[in-house]
Amino acid sequence: MDYKPTRPENNDNITRDSPVKEALVLLSGVLAFFLVAYCMLGFLVDWAISRISPKMEAAIFSGFQVPSGLGTPEDLSCQASLQHLTNELRKCCDINYPVKIIVIPSDTANAIALAGGTIVVFSGIFDMVRSENGIAFVLAHELGHFKHRDHLRGMGRGIVLTALSALLTGSGSSITQLTAPGIHLTQARYSRQREAMADAQALETMACYYGHAGGATEFFQAMGAADDPGRFMAYFASHPECESRIAALKKAIQEQHFDIRPVKPLPPELKHLPSGKL
Amino acid sequence: MEQLIFFIILIMLGYFFGRRAESKHYRSIEAREEFWLTRPTSTFKTISNSGRTIRKSELVSGNVVISVDYFKRIAAGLRNLFGGEVRVYETLVDRARREALLRLHESCGDADEIINIRLETSSIYKGKRKQVGSVEVLAFGTAVYFEQN
Repeated sequence: MDYKPTRPENNDNITRDSPVKEALVLLSGVLAFFLVAYCMLGFLVDWAISRISPKMEAAIFSGFQVPSGLGTPEDLSCQASLQHLTNELRKCCDINYPVKIIVIPSDTANAIALAGGTIVVFSGIFDMVRSENGIAFVLAHELGHFKHRDHLRGMGRGIVLTALSALLTGSGSSITQLTAPGIHLTQARYSRQREAMADAQALETMACYYGHAGGATEFFQAMGAADDPGRFMAYFASHPECESRIAALKKAIQEQHFDIRPVKPLPPELKHLPSGKL
Repeated sequence: MEQLIFFIILIMLGYFFGRRAESKHYRSIEAREEFWLTRPTSTFKTISNSGRTIRKSELVSGNVVISVDYFKRIAAGLRNLFGGEVRVYETLVDRARREALLRLHESCGDADEIINIRLETSSIYKGKRKQVGSVEVLAFGTAVYFEQN
């Protein structure tokens, strides 16, 4: 019998299935797993926080190092003035533990609620607001975070996120880059919800303290003029865009029939701050 | 965000160029295999036709190094999490084996038969975090030349 060489009809050593389909199925599996894990751990954080009293929180974070703020006498008077305002606002939103104010010279216009009952105010904010009501809204917003315990939630979720991404990075591939935006999107959405809730709380605090809601949108109007994240990036922003926040505030003001009356001018000790210089 | 866009562009580029290079390579492999089809080639240690006189025999080899594209690397990384067949790497090894054998053939165009063929594979480059980047296949055997009658 003669041997007649031929090439095989099919190459059985390779698979003809689409590799793109396979990759997408696997990727969605990884994403789904991490989103479920993130959400479940997030709920676990919420549950844990409901069991931490403000007293316990203060004890836990007593060792938390916070910069002491401005040094010169006029700057301290600014801090004292804000402290006084915060103490008054605190009574209006049922926070019955002391909240400490620290002013940090910076060009940034922002304020943060830190665990342990501290509000850090970056002095750039005083260039943005024109009235006491304006700054009171920012403080009331941070107090709203304290009331909803968002500072702890944010911290807890941050830890979960870091742990999850460490888990992925440890697996030895660049998949983190693919899954991180998905998780970030969820995180940003959650954060936006909490910000909106703090805004609503701040509005109530303002109405309780001043008797009207004048100046509530002042800070966002000034910030909105300064920057606009664009339509697409808005999904990734942790804070709702200024425009939508102003709209939400105006709607809430209408629905709850708050008055808008003339605002109080900014106290002199808050007016002329050396921003961005130490 | 910019990072993600950059990453997706890299994957798409990898997929597009990788696919193009692969199908081009397969076309070339198939044509050359057709050309060398009639030459007796085996893994036996002895020649197939013992009636002829051997004029000369020599060691011949052919080797090739082939790398995967970026898309396949990521797809294989995903597969690493779940386990199972790494199908995207199958064509990589298949191409390398066949190319190495073809190069061996081409290195001794006048030989009448090639016996005792062996193949060796090694991953010569492990990229970042030890992901396999490229594979080397070495084919070697004995080329036999018969006396012309």
